Amino acid sequence: MTMKKTWAALSALTLAGTLVLSACGGSGQNAAGGNASAGGNGSTGSGASSSGSGASASDKPAADMKLRILTANVGGKTPEENKQFEAEIKKLTGIDATLERPASDYDQKVLTALGSGEKYDLIEGSDLGKLAEFVDQGVVTDLTDFVKSSKVLSDPSVIPTSEWDQLKDKDGRIVAVFSKFQGGTMPIVRKDWLDKLHLQEPKTLDDYYNVLKAFKEQDPDGDGKADTYGLSTSGLYDIQGFMSAAGLKYRYVMKDGKRTIPYATEAAVPMYQWFAKLTKEGIMDPNFITNDTGKMRNLFLTDRVGIITYWDAWVGMFNSLKKQEDPNTSFQAEGITSAEGPGGTILMRRGDPDYWFIPANAEHPDAAKKFLEFWNTQPGIMLGSIGIEDVDYTKSGDTYTLTDTGKQHNMDHGVPFWYNQNVKPPFPGLPGVQEAQDLAKKYATLELALPGWSDAEKIVQNYALKAMAGQMDAEEAVKKMRDELFAKKLIDE
Amino acid sequence: MRTLRKYGPLYVMMVPVVVYFLVYAYYPLVRGLQTSFQDYRLMGDRPYVGWSNYSAVLHDTSFQEALVNTFIIGGSILLIGFAAPLVVALSLNEVLQAWYKKLAQMVLYIPHLLSWVVIGGMWIFLLSPDNGLVNLLLVKAGLDQPVNFLADPGWARWIMILLAVWKDMGYNCILFLAGIMSINPSLYEAARMDGASRWQQVRFVTLPQLSSTMKVIFLLNTLGILRIFDEVFILRNPTTAPKVDVLMMYTFQKGMVDIQIGTAAAASFFVVLLTLALTLVVRWVTRFDEV
Repeated sequence: MTMKKTWAALSALTLAGTLVLSACGGSGQNAAGGNASAGGNGSTGSGASSSGSGASASDKPAADMKLRILTANVGGKTPEENKQFEAEIKKLTGIDATLERPASDYDQKVLTALGSGEKYDLIEGSDLGKLAEFVDQGVVTDLTDFVKSSKVLSDPSVIPTSEWDQLKDKDGRIVAVFSKFQGGTMPIVRKDWLDKLHLQEPKTLDDYYNVLKAFKEQDPDGDGKADTYGLSTSGLYDIQGFMSAAGLKYRYVMKDGKRTIPYATEAAVPMYQWFAKLTKEGIMDPNFITNDTGKMRNLFLTDRVGIITYWDAWVGMFNSLKKQEDPNTSFQAEGITSAEGPGGTILMRRGDPDYWFIPANAEHPDAAKKFLEFWNTQPGIMLGSIGIEDVDYTKSGDTYTLTDTGKQHNMDHGVPFWYNQNVKPPFPGLPGVQEAQDLAKKYATLELALPGWSDAEKIVQNYALKAMAGQMDAEEAVKKMRDELFAKKLIDE
Repeated sequence: MRTLRKYGPLYVMMVPVVVYFLVYAYYPLVRGLQTSFQDYRLMGDRPYVGWSNYSAVLHDTSFQEALVNTFIIGGSILLIGFAAPLVVALSLNEVLQAWYKKLAQMVLYIPHLLSWVVIGGMWIFLLSPDNGLVNLLLVKAGLDQPVNFLADPGWARWIMILLAVWKDMGYNCILFLAGIMSINPSLYEAARMDGASRWQQVRFVTLPQLSSTMKVIFLLNTLGILRIFDEVFILRNPTTAPKVDVLMMYTFQKGMVDIQIGTAAAASFFVVLLTLALTLVVRWVTRFDEV
């Protein structure tokens, strides 16, 4: 009987444990492989391992070079085209590249790959907070010497010198290389609705309110039903365009060496009250708490909402998509500036850059470096933007022509926009995108995600969204938000 | 030796199964246990840190909140998810028209076949305050304003509980019906001869005869209550998270988002231990060994 019970207990333990642990992943193999442990020395307090070579990768022969890449955005749009993409890399660089592009859950794939000791030569990322964590986890290679000695990457016309600051670790070492130019988010308005209702582009918060109210009440889509909303958002970073009116930046802001979160200060109270008013008056899309960006975009594309805040690149995409659907459409999306803050200041959000890093256990770091240089030159940029020659486009002399496949792919194979000023786009940008990008370049700044932000964000989002939805008084929400952030030592002031 | 020769081929046939469990069940379990005692980094040294990961988890208020949420949501799913299909199965058993019984079973069973991604997407649409069917009906019935079910913390736990019960209702119902079908008809005949009413037949014949099936289903469901994840992952949002984030969500957050693998492993071992404890309690309470 005792044996039976023991066996039952062990069985239950094993079953439950197995199932539970399947969510953790990570078989725990030492992933450092033959390379020096990236952050294991502990003496530097940083994870960037030395590359050991400052030589320019372009000086080395490409013959027999192999490269294994894990990427979220770069490559073909289908598995078949991915194979063609690999062949094109081989043709253009001589590198025998393997491109792995998971269909979903990219961040989890990266984590489990690194944790289980899989060896990639290049991994794409898009979150600076995650990059900092990878540095701490000893994952990334120090690329400072490589970038400085590279004729391509050290050229300020290829990548402006100041931009590299984004990809430096806390000790000032460059730990990644840009994959593309990342723009910013901003309010995107239905310009055709503004014109139809004889409204001016909003500048101040009051202007915004009047426009949003008109979009709700004056039937801008002309279907005779009150079924439009003024504003839709998805997540708190999408309200930056309005929080600008109070001069509030999302995430952390360092003030006299102390961590503050502007959205958790008294100054944010009137802004949450403003949103609560929008909610109460039915101006705000009621699903804004549960929206993902796809739903928000769909509302905009289906004439349900007049303003959303989203990426500059999508201004062009919206216009292009509607034009493809109906060549005679009156739809016109336009990126506009955030609401003016104190003294006329305008705050906009610049997105974290997309980047490549070389894992510390990479087996072919030289091939990776050669690819990074190639990726920022004319052939690499053409491959990452318009795609594969004779698949996505044809070329006759200096004239490029998109194929039907190329048109479907919207000139985006991971690099819709790039830094290199020496490479001119072969096609004009999609309508409205240049103006939107100009705004982002002028006003947008990066957000600061310090360690602990993921915990802080949960608290901020919880109370801010409740206040915006009118579920909680704004003053009470900010007070509770601050109390919790202090209690968990997530802010200093 | 004689026994070994006699049953040798059977033991050989067991080898792949044993190897499978060793590789995919026991090995990860042991490695997970090891990880829970390490300052686990993705690359480089992984020093052992004793019980500090366990201590960090125990002192983390997020873990405590997740534990409470898990017991409330999981416990409710266990109880309601046990009682509701039992009632439905007993009711269906009383239905004489076979076609209706089969149709009802099929309709009840379909949600079980769908993944939480589909179920979640469907209910997000149905419960939407903007043209969602549920709210359209409620407004038609006289409600002033649509209810934002998925964004209202007051509804959050109920949504999780009721959807989980609804999804698995058909599966559990079929198990109960199978149990009812296996009851010896002569028992009912004897009860009828003794003058038992329909309710008395249910109470004194069906339920006692069904007790073994009920114990098995209850125990199986108990094993799962601390592992709720998919529906929470899909249906939660920042305003409902404090009410619905469960232990597996905490583990996921620590491991996959914050990259604190050691802490996540420690948290997952708490789940293992709690599951073990719960299972033993349920076995003892239900006298499972007497099944």
